[in-house]
Amino acid sequence: MLSPNERIVFILLVVVCGILAFQGFNRVFKTVRCGADADRSDNLIGRFITALFDVFLQKSIKNARPIVSLFHSFIFYAFSFYLLVNVNDVLEAYVDGWTTLGSDNILANLFNLFADIFSVLVLVGMVFFLYRRFVQKPKVMEFNANVKLHPGVSAGGLKKDSLIVGIFILVHVGSRWLGTAIHLADNGNTDKWLPTASIISGLFSDWSPAALETGIHVTWWLAMGLIVLFIPYFPRTKHIHIMVAPVNLALGRKTHRGAMDGVSNPASPGARTLSDLPWPQVLDSWACIMCTRCHEVCPAHESGTSLSPSAMEINKRYFINEQGNSLFNGAADTALLDYAISDDAVWSCTTCYACVQVCPVGNEPMMDILELRRNEVYDAKMPDELADVLRSLDEQGNSFNESARRRSRWSRTLDFKLKDATKDPVKYLWYVGDFASFNQICQDTTRKVAEVLMVAGVDFGIMGKKEKSAGNDVRRVGEEGLFEVLVEQNIESIESCEFEEIFTTDPHTFNTLKNEYPEKGGNFPVKHYSTLLLELIKNGDIKLNKKLDIKATYHDPCYLGRYNGIYDDPRQVMKLCGVELVEMPRNKENSFCCGAGGGQIWLPDHDDMVQRPSENRIEEAVSVGVNHFTVACPKDMTMYSDAAKTSGNEDNMAVNDIVDFVLEAMDLPEQPMDETFSSDTEEAVSPDTLSEELNL
Amino acid sequence: MGDILVITEHLKGEFQDITFEMLGKAKDLAGESGRQCVAITFGSMNGKSDELGVADSVISVGGSDDYNPESYAAAVQSVVSAKSPSLVLVGSTSMGMDIANSVATALDMPTVSYCVDVSAGSSGFSCTSSMYGGKMNVVTNVDGSALVMVLAGAFNADEGKSAESPAVEDFVAESGAGKIRFKQLIEPEAADVDITQSDILVAVGRGIGSKDDIKLAEELADILVADLACSRPLVDAGWMSKEHQVGKSGMKVKPKVYIALGISGAPEHIEGMKSSSTIIAINSDKNAPIFDVAHYGMAEDLFDVVEELVEELE
Amino acid sequence: MKIAVMLKQGPDLVEDLEVDASGKALASDDIKFKLNEFDDHALEEAILLKESGAADEVVAMAVEGKGADKILFTAIAKGADKAVKLNGGNPQDSHQLGKAFANALGSEGFDMVFTGVQSVDDRDGQLGPIVASYLDTPCVSVVSGVSVSGGTAAVYKEYSGGMMGEFEVDMPAVLGIQAAKQAPRYAPVSKIRQVQETASIEEVSMGDLGSGSRSSVASMAPPAKGSGAEMLDDVEELIEVLKDKGVI
Repeated sequence: MLSPNERIVFILLVVVCGILAFQGFNRVFKTVRCGADADRSDNLIGRFITALFDVFLQKSIKNARPIVSLFHSFIFYAFSFYLLVNVNDVLEAYVDGWTTLGSDNILANLFNLFADIFSVLVLVGMVFFLYRRFVQKPKVMEFNANVKLHPGVSAGGLKKDSLIVGIFILVHVGSRWLGTAIHLADNGNTDKWLPTASIISGLFSDWSPAALETGIHVTWWLAMGLIVLFIPYFPRTKHIHIMVAPVNLALGRKTHRGAMDGVSNPASPGARTLSDLPWPQVLDSWACIMCTRCHEVCPAHESGTSLSPSAMEINKRYFINEQGNSLFNGAADTALLDYAISDDAVWSCTTCYACVQVCPVGNEPMMDILELRRNEVYDAKMPDELADVLRSLDEQGNSFNESARRRSRWSRTLDFKLKDATKDPVKYLWYVGDFASFNQICQDTTRKVAEVLMVAGVDFGIMGKKEKSAGNDVRRVGEEGLFEVLVEQNIESIESCEFEEIFTTDPHTFNTLKNEYPEKGGNFPVKHYSTLLLELIKNGDIKLNKKLDIKATYHDPCYLGRYNGIYDDPRQVMKLCGVELVEMPRNKENSFCCGAGGGQIWLPDHDDMVQRPSENRIEEAVSVGVNHFTVACPKDMTMYSDAAKTSGNEDNMAVNDIVDFVLEAMDLPEQPMDETFSSDTEEAVSPDTLSEELNL
Repeated sequence: MGDILVITEHLKGEFQDITFEMLGKAKDLAGESGRQCVAITFGSMNGKSDELGVADSVISVGGSDDYNPESYAAAVQSVVSAKSPSLVLVGSTSMGMDIANSVATALDMPTVSYCVDVSAGSSGFSCTSSMYGGKMNVVTNVDGSALVMVLAGAFNADEGKSAESPAVEDFVAESGAGKIRFKQLIEPEAADVDITQSDILVAVGRGIGSKDDIKLAEELADILVADLACSRPLVDAGWMSKEHQVGKSGMKVKPKVYIALGISGAPEHIEGMKSSSTIIAINSDKNAPIFDVAHYGMAEDLFDVVEELVEELE
Repeated sequence: MKIAVMLKQGPDLVEDLEVDASGKALASDDIKFKLNEFDDHALEEAILLKESGAADEVVAMAVEGKGADKILFTAIAKGADKAVKLNGGNPQDSHQLGKAFANALGSEGFDMVFTGVQSVDDRDGQLGPIVASYLDTPCVSVVSGVSVSGGTAAVYKEYSGGMMGEFEVDMPAVLGIQAAKQAPRYAPVSKIRQVQETASIEEVSMGDLGSGSRSSVASMAPPAKGSGAEMLDDVEELIEVLKDKGVI
């Protein structure tokens, strides 16, 4: 269909843009290679097949924002199909007589139908997205005022990029769609296989053949020329995600999410600059679609602090674009803390993993933060309070600055003696953990667990002063050396005991014992106490004699749920106790962190914190109409007990551990702790009786 | 028998309380054991020797009015060499630490630090020292000449005061090699508050945990119309400024009521506040030494107590 | 300028302390020992002087024993140039300890010797002035600020009530440090472990320790609880007391 001159011009255009594109993509490749070593070469074929399926089924994007994701899938499927469309259009241009219009071939007609409908879907989707960004302007797309932003971003770079991409797609697809309509006007006005094009072809019905011919060429050049021109532009826009995201998803970390990577160079651990980051972390900034899903689920950003994982990835990308070739010619020495993320933000992260979980393109912003922490800690740069806690952990093996010999003092008020697992063999070794041992609120729960197990006739014991903090959060604040010391000492203590299994009430402890200790030589079977309680209830060792007639919601702890996939055991325990479970909107893998992880529980609240994540969560519970907030983690217990008070919900929201329900349902004859849960179905519970009865 | 020597301490022309505390005890010991009690003054402090009436006599070594570790130690050493006392009492203070160790080591005399009690035995003395952050009392028996560093506040200053006037002897003493030279006395910056004048103090120690949490103590102080005070570690960490510091190197306070939150009770702090009329201590460790000097105590988490207290009072 | 820092350990006061069977010493089998807090300040002050260019070399010194290596490697991780361990003896008190350090320091040629103003167990006297006496060098104790120019140091000594005395001291001298210009820095365990691989500790004999302090412990016991505080049960009782004393 194109004239010989046009054909030559197009080929030249393709060649020129091809060369520019090659240079651009080569720069992408070289930038990524700047990053530190990482081995993602295992099972390459399997990785890519899985990633392609994932992308094709749009699995990773469905995690959040369902309506937006729906519109995106319109665009995705349409654009995927458009590859065929573009090939067809080139053939039409270069092969005389090639056309799919007015054909008897069913494939050609189906092709036309899909092309027609998909074109409209893309246009609708694009209009929705542009409307969302420029008219609706949802708050979630904004960064907190205190978030560090690259100057290019502050100057409106994201909006500019969206506009360019939006206009390109609208013009590319729009022209093609118009072009089809013009073809129809040229050939006979309607075609049942081109429903929408048929509708608008009427607009061109009184155009002269010459005008129609011009129209066809113009729309062809707009559609095809634009896409050829856009190809070298990809490295400068977030739109490159269409190519990078599948690769990023394919080459993602396949090791357990609860196991941090080791330190590759102990003499210079972690990352200070972009090239210190493992290359997949650099690839992340190319894959980033700048959608802000990550900071929407980030407890630090939500509470008003300066941490936005989204801003960090975007800043990295803008920095890379700005640096151009000097990046890999030796100028990659600028500290990440100078342009990508502020020091304050690094120390605001709770390591909840929500940003990694939600990212549609497989980014892991949290990993960057962990590497930055490692590097800072090596130079002793950290909040002062953290240094004091680390000293306490080093000297006494706990974060409470208490003598190690006081670790089992919580058990003194029990009316039975606990077995010393370091002296006598036991079936279950109970790894109690710092908070469950020393925090006064948590100690009550710890004692109840002991009581329940005692009555159930379980053979268990504790290590007492031989137990030190398992080190999960020590590792996550970047003190790899102290983590290793704790692991060594704990493995030695554990190995001195004779037992079948370890259990713990603390998900952080559970996570590191299960996923990180084996690599250091400590391979022990370990379960969370919710699993153990469930087993004991099911096999009848724990006899539940009473059904609790109450409604409660359950909060999934980050290190039990998102990190280790245990969502059902605690829920089943609750249900077996007769508790009616009401889910909060953010549940299971979308659970919203209490804000204690990543060392935050050792640090004072950030100055710019508008509302604590734990208070936000309590309000979520209030909104689903329950009076009981259930936890299965000592840190959650202390954070939410506090938050219930500080958010003004002390009288209408009781914070319970799952063991509270078990103990109550066991209905033991003499209760050392006088608790009665009044039934929710009886007359409205007065606030006073509620807190009194729950004896918190 | 050798005398009991008391090394007086002065600052800005006034004898410090420690001087009278030691004199009172020295007089006691002298009386018990049939010895003489002799005070040593420096510089022109011999002009105020009538304040030292409890002593049997005063030795004036002259020298500079401004304390100098080298010259004062040299002077004391001269006196001790010449007089061969059976006991020398020095304050366990900034000044005392320099003098005591220097003299004792040079003359090969036994030394006892952190003394809270001294009693005369058959031939020598028995000294009790408060050690390990106040958690242990250690008894040392010394025969012959010994040098004892006395903790401020261990003895009663009133017992060291009397209306008498002791005889004053001038003594020509060594003045040292001149390798340490006094330059100037530096007064503390004008402070927002003078806690030595406060009636009620709310004091925070390490138990407060973080700088942020001091707000809770501030709330309590506001409600009680009290001033804030603290122990040394909080000043070292930069959480509070020096005018709030109570203790050996901080302020000595005597309020009507002293509320100690999260303070363990190390001797250096006790020194600064033990003269308070009523001491109320809140510390989650029921074995904390503070409970020995407090009048009232609660072995509870200070946050629980203070939060509830603030609520009730509001 | 070369600064030596004398480091000692003592029981961690966070522990519950008990007297051993002899009735004269701490039961020390179970309790943790750590670097004396004031010695940490002394080390910090020395390193700060080095970082500011006032000093060229900081040498950390400690006596052999459990935990001595860790203390010395930690000092290097914080910035000390060298670590020296004194072996061949078992100092029983501050005087013997002082002799050990004095013997080692005597031959080394130091401009300044820093140590903590006091420690938790120095019943028989403070290390700094004792060592100064053995070495016949000037000593100032309770120091919380040092600056150096030429062959003298400007030293700030703390008195009570927030007052300070400024002195000029000829070097070589010994200083008993009360507080460094900033809180002692944290030494990351990762770094200490690195240092353990790469650095080595020089060993030096501590020589003749002399006869010590010529005074020994007769007995040790926790202070008598006797007239301790009247313990209150709850906040209500506390409020009563406050009312009674005219506070509210």
